[in-house]
Amino acid sequence: MTNEVKAVEVKALHIELGRDASRVHVLNGIDLSITQGEAVGLVGPSGSGKSTLLMAMAGLEQAGSGHIIIAGQNIEAMSEDELARFRGRHIGIVFQSFHLIETMTALENVAVPLELAGHSDPYTRAKHELEAVGLKDRLSHHPSELSGGEQQRVAIARALAPDPTLLLADEPTGNLDEANGATIVDLLFNLRQERNMTLILVTHDLRLAARCDRTIHLNSGKIIAKDR
Amino acid sequence: MTAASIKFAFRNLRQGLSGFRIFLACIALGVTAIVGVDSLARALTDGLASEGRTLLGADLVVSRMHRPADASERALINSKGRTTEIISLRGMARTTKAAALVDLKVVDQTYPLLAPPVFDPALSLASIMDEKDGIFGVAADAALFARLGVKTGDRIALGDATVELRAVLVNEPDRIGAGLTLGPRVIMSRAAFAKTGLLKPESLIRFSYRLLLDDPRDDRLAEIDVALTPALSEAGFELRGRKNVSPQLTRNIERFSQYLGLIGLTALIIGGLGVANAVIAYLDRRRKTMAIFKAIGASGSMIFQIAFLEIMVLAALGTGIGLVLGASLPYLVSLLASNLLPFPIAPHLYPDRLALGALYGILTAATFALPILGRAHDLPVAILFRDDLANDQAKVKRRYQVMTAIVGLALVGIVILAAREKLITVFVLLGMAAAFFLLRGVAFLIMRWARQVPRPHRTELRLAMGNIYRRGTITPALTLALGLGVTLLVAISATQNNLVQLVSSGLPDKAPSFFFVDIPARDLPAFDEFMKLKQPETRVSHVPMVRGRITEVKSVRAEAVIAEENARWVLDGDRGITFSSTVPEGSRIVSGEWWSETYDGPPLVSLEADIAKGLNLAIGDMITVNILGRSIQAKIANLRRVDWQSLGINFVLVFSPNTFKGAPVSYLATLTDESGSQNLEREAQLLVDTAQAFPAVSAIRVREALESVRTMIDQLAVAIRGVAGITILASILVLSGAVGASQRRRIRDAVILKTLGASRFRLLTAFLAEFAMISLAASFFGLIAGLLAAWAIVAFAFRTAFTWPIGDPLATAALAVVFAIGLGLIGTWRVLDEKPARHLRAP
Repeated sequence: MTNEVKAVEVKALHIELGRDASRVHVLNGIDLSITQGEAVGLVGPSGSGKSTLLMAMAGLEQAGSGHIIIAGQNIEAMSEDELARFRGRHIGIVFQSFHLIETMTALENVAVPLELAGHSDPYTRAKHELEAVGLKDRLSHHPSELSGGEQQRVAIARALAPDPTLLLADEPTGNLDEANGATIVDLLFNLRQERNMTLILVTHDLRLAARCDRTIHLNSGKIIAKDR
Repeated sequence: MTAASIKFAFRNLRQGLSGFRIFLACIALGVTAIVGVDSLARALTDGLASEGRTLLGADLVVSRMHRPADASERALINSKGRTTEIISLRGMARTTKAAALVDLKVVDQTYPLLAPPVFDPALSLASIMDEKDGIFGVAADAALFARLGVKTGDRIALGDATVELRAVLVNEPDRIGAGLTLGPRVIMSRAAFAKTGLLKPESLIRFSYRLLLDDPRDDRLAEIDVALTPALSEAGFELRGRKNVSPQLTRNIERFSQYLGLIGLTALIIGGLGVANAVIAYLDRRRKTMAIFKAIGASGSMIFQIAFLEIMVLAALGTGIGLVLGASLPYLVSLLASNLLPFPIAPHLYPDRLALGALYGILTAATFALPILGRAHDLPVAILFRDDLANDQAKVKRRYQVMTAIVGLALVGIVILAAREKLITVFVLLGMAAAFFLLRGVAFLIMRWARQVPRPHRTELRLAMGNIYRRGTITPALTLALGLGVTLLVAISATQNNLVQLVSSGLPDKAPSFFFVDIPARDLPAFDEFMKLKQPETRVSHVPMVRGRITEVKSVRAEAVIAEENARWVLDGDRGITFSSTVPEGSRIVSGEWWSETYDGPPLVSLEADIAKGLNLAIGDMITVNILGRSIQAKIANLRRVDWQSLGINFVLVFSPNTFKGAPVSYLATLTDESGSQNLEREAQLLVDTAQAFPAVSAIRVREALESVRTMIDQLAVAIRGVAGITILASILVLSGAVGASQRRRIRDAVILKTLGASRFRLLTAFLAEFAMISLAASFFGLIAGLLAAWAIVAFAFRTAFTWPIGDPLATAALAVVFAIGLGLIGTWRVLDEKPARHLRAP
C-alpha cells in the first residue's frame, strides 16, 4: 500500500429514487476510492447514475445505504446544515447550467461562499479568483449581462474561491459551444493542477474524460470499467 | 372568437384548476362580500315590508303630535275599517329610591288589532290593565324592573298616578312601527293614563290611529291612503302604511349596506391583484405551449383568444362560487341569528343583485387579466430555441390597452350607477385608485432603493435586497396587498376610535348631564328654583319646544319633495321646533340676517344650512309647517351652522317668536355642571328628586343616551370589521399567491446557496430580511394613508375635529408587518427543506 491520502471513499453505495412503482435503483453498490490530487472522469450513457454519484459525493443526494467519506469524514452522518458548512469548506461544484444568483454581480457571486465561510476579506479574494479566470473586467456584471462561457468562468471562480480540496464538475461544457467549452476545460484543468485539487468530472465526452488521470465507466448504476 | 379558439381553450381547461385556486378564491371572496351584504340588506328591508302589517299593528297608521283627532277626523278614519287609538309619550317612572325614563304606550279596549303582546306571567292585556283595589295595572319591559330594582307586584309612580307592575312585557310585535324608543316600554290603559295627569296640550304626546282594513289588498290600501292623505295631511297628520313601516330604518339599512358594499368592492379590487398574479403565473406556465401553437400556425390573436377564454371561464366559475355564497348569507343569518335581530328577515334570491355581483366579478377579473393576457399576442416563438428570451416582456398592443380601459371604465361606471350615494362612491373609488397608484409608486421606490443603495456585505442582506428588485419579485404584490389592507384597517380603527371618543371622553368639558323634556311653561320658574337649590353649581338653560311637521316646501307637498339623502329625514315626520328672538347658543349665521327682538311681521324661520342645501332651499323661500294642528307658512330669513357636538339645545328649525304667540308650549332644559365634574351618585339622586318634584317632566341622562350611541357604534363596527375581514382575507390570498409564485425562484436560490455552504438559518434570515423590508414600507404607507382616510371621514363626513390616535393604528401596522413576515416565512419554509439534487441536475 502507498501513503496516498484518500480524498474520496465510496463504499457499497446504493441509491434509489422515485416512489412506489416508479422507484428506480440508480446506484447499485458503488465502491470507489479517489486519492488527493487525482482527476477522475465519470462517463456513461444517460441514466447510468453518474450525476447521482456526483451529487451523493457532494452530500446533495441522500444515500440509501453505504458510506461516503470525503476528506476523512463520513458525510452520511452529517445533518443538512453540517453538510452545507462542510461543502463550503471542502467542496467546490461546477454545474452544467452555471447556477449563478441572478441578483448578484459576478464579484458578489464569487464572494458568497467566502462570506458564508466567514472569510476575512471575501471581496479581495473573489476579485483575485475572477482575475484568475480572465474576468477582471466583468466584476460588476450581473449573470444576465454575461455570455454562457463567461458565466461558467464565474461559476468556476466561485467553486475555487474557498480553496476546496475537492472539485466536482457536472457536464461543465454541456451548455457551451466547442470553442468556449475547450477554454473552460483548459481553465479547469490548469487551475486544478496549480492548486493540487481532486477533480471529479461527469461528462459524456470521452475525449474530455481522457484528460483525467482515470476514467470510470458507469452503466445501470454500476461501475463497469476503470481506465488509467 | 373563433370555434378553434374555443375548442383549444376548453381542451386546455381539461388540465384542471391547478394553479388557479387563489385566482378562484380572490374572485369568489369579493363577489361573496358584495352579493352577501346586498342580499342581506334586501332581506332585512323586505322583512320590514313583508311583515309590515304585524310590525305596524295595522294596515295604516295616522298620527299627530299634541292633539288627538277631532270628531270629524276620527269619523273619517273610522269609516275605512277597524281602528284603535294609541297615545304615546315619554315619562318618568319612579319609586322612592330610583327613577327611570319610560316610553308610555296608552291603549284602548280595541288594542291590539293584530298580534297581541306577550307577557310574563301569561296574562291577558285586560287583566293586566284592570283596576284592582283602586290601583291600575301596567306591563313593562324587563329593563325597567332592573333599573328601578322592582319586581312583579310592586308599585311605581307615573306622573300623579300610582300603578302596579303586573307583568313583564316579553314581546311587543308592533314595537318597530312605534318608532325610536329611549326608555323601557310601559303599556297602560286609558283610564290609568287619565290618572297620571300627563295629558296636557303642550306635552309631547303622539296620538296614533291604527286602521285595519276589511279588505287588506294592496290596491285597496293605496286607494284609502289616497283618499285620506289630503285632508289628514293638511291637518298635520302623518300617514304611514304597512309597506313603509320605518322609512328611516329602511334608509339606514340601505345606506349602511352601501358603505359595507364599498368595503366589499375593495375586497374584489384587492382580489384583482390576485387575479393578475395568477394570470402572470399562468402565462409563465403556458408560454412554451403558446409558442408551439404559434410555431405551427396559430396567430397572435388566436393565442390571446384562447388564453382570454380560459381565464374568463375560470372567472365565471369564481364568480359563480361567490354568488352562491353571497346569496346564501341571508338564509344563513335567518337560520342561525334571526333571534338576535330586532326585526324580521325575509331571505330571497335577488336576481338583480346577483346579476350585479356577477358583472362585478367578471369585469374585475377582465380588468386585471387583460393587460397581462395581451402580452401573449406577441410572445416570440424563439423562446422555444432560446430560453433567455422567455423573460422578455413583450409590449402590450394598443388594442389590448384599449380593451382594458373600456372594461375598467365599464366596471367603474356600473359601480357608480348602482350606488345610491354616488358622490361618496366616486370619492371612495378615487381614494382606492389613489392608494393603488401611490402603492405602485411605493413599490417602485422600494425596488429602486434596493437597487441603488450600497450593497451590504452580509450575504443574507444582499440576497434579500436582490430579491426585492429582481424580475418576478413579490415587492409590488406584497406592497399593494399589504398596503391596501393596512390602509383599510387603520382607517376603520381610527374612525371608530374618533367616533367613540366623540360620544364619550371627547365631549366638551361643559356638556350637559341631563336633558329635561316637557317642562310646562307655568312650572318653569319652580323648576329653575328647584335646580338652584339641589344643584347650586349647575347651570340650567331652557328653550320652548313644540313638535311640528314640515308639510310643504316651496308649495310642493313634503312627500313629493326631491331631497338629498342627508336632508330627507327632516321631512319624514315630526321635528322639534323652537322660537327665539336671538341667535341660539351654538349657532352662527352663515347667510341672511336674524330678525329683530321686536319683530312682529309674517312668520320667519331660520334653517340649518346643510338641511337647506339638501332640500334645495334658499333665503326667501317658503316652507309650511303644521304645529299643534295649525299650518304655518314661514319665509326663510337666514341659514345657520350648528355646532351639534356642544350637545347644547339646538334645532333645525327656529322661528321668529311672534309665530307662536299664545300657543301652549312646553320647555326643554339642559342641566350643565359648571365645575365640569361628574358625580354618578349625585346624578342618580337628582333623577329621583326631579321625578318626584315634577312628575310630568321627563329626564334624559346624557350619559345613558351617549352610551346607547356608543353601543350602536360598536355594533356597526362589528359589521364593518366583518366585511373588512373579507378584504383582509383577500389581501392574505394575494400575499400567499405572490409568495407561492416566487417559490420556484426561491428554491433555486436556496439550493445554490446550500451547495455553497449556507445553513437553513442563514437562508431564513435572508427571507426574513426581504419580507421585513417590504412589509415595513407597505405598512408605514398603510398607516399614513389609513389615518388620512380616517381624518377625511371624520373631518368632512362628521364635521368634527380629528384626534390622531397612535396606539391602535400603530399596533395594526405592526401586526400587519409581523403577519406578512410570518406568512412569507411559512410560505418559504418548504424551500428550506428542499433537497438540492433535484434542482441542480442539468435539464
